[in-house]
Amino acid sequence: MSEVAEHVERLEQPAGPVRDGRGALVIDVRGPRFGAAITTVVLAAALVAQGPVGLGLVLWQWFAFAVASVAGLAHSPYGRLFRAVKRWRRLGPPPATEPEGPPRFAQTCGLVVTTLALLLFALGAPVAGWFAVGAVLVLSVLLATTGLCVGCELYLVGQRLRARRGAA
Amino acid sequence: MDPLLLRLTAVLVLLLVVAVLGRWWQQRVTSLAPVPVAVGPRVAADHLHAVGLDLTGARAGALLLGAPTCSPCGQVEQVLRTLAHERDDFRWVYADAADHLGIADDHAVRRVPTLFVLAPGGRILARTSGVPRADELRRVLDGEEQPV
Repeated sequence: MSEVAEHVERLEQPAGPVRDGRGALVIDVRGPRFGAAITTVVLAAALVAQGPVGLGLVLWQWFAFAVASVAGLAHSPYGRLFRAVKRWRRLGPPPATEPEGPPRFAQTCGLVVTTLALLLFALGAPVAGWFAVGAVLVLSVLLATTGLCVGCELYLVGQRLRARRGAA
Repeated sequence: MDPLLLRLTAVLVLLLVVAVLGRWWQQRVTSLAPVPVAVGPRVAADHLHAVGLDLTGARAGALLLGAPTCSPCGQVEQVLRTLAHERDDFRWVYADAADHLGIADDHAVRRVPTLFVLAPGGRILARTSGVPRADELRRVLDGEEQPV
């Protein structure tokens, strides 16, 4: 790789977290959709396979949601994979960035519902558990195919409710 | 039928239905909807004053309600910047919906970004929730997509 290409590569792949003017973490807008596409594949495979394989896939997805919720999207397995794909396919700098808050909240919503699904499996209610997994799958497909992030919308509604309460 | 094949078919149908419905809904929500003249809603002068949009001498304007954490808001702002660059008589402002709950309540704003395209008196020519195409906005501003 030439010196110039290496420099461009470094500029396109910032070493640390990127923050906006207000100090909030920002992420590449393509990242959440990429993650949702993988989530869709994982959960669809889980629903088809069911049994121990399906349960293992749901557990893996729970882990991915948990890391994204606790440590941030950049540290989640899919966030790391997205950065690797960006480097590999030379996807270039983000077309736009977005605050990390809403998509991270959406991951937390996914974590809550997959936790519920795992609890239902443990309590001997597999059908209800798979319905919960199906609900997360539906939201992932929506994000992957249309960019519509229901969790992010809920986050914004919550912000407005907080503002309304503060104004009252 | 083999249960595995049955589940595979059900999951594929589910994915397809959700993707198609999602696309349809997205197009419905983000298309720029002209507002009928007969309805004649307008953004009240005190609301325009509160957001700092002065339409005196302008041919048209736009009010974008957003939020700091709303990612498509930046894309709408970019479209509006382009239009403002093209037209001297077009003015627009961005306002945080959480800081202007009165406007959000009066006009049933449920999502951000919500964009109002306004005539000089504050009458709403069109509104959308999402990222409008610049040519759609141009048509509204040029009166080609005049309200019914």
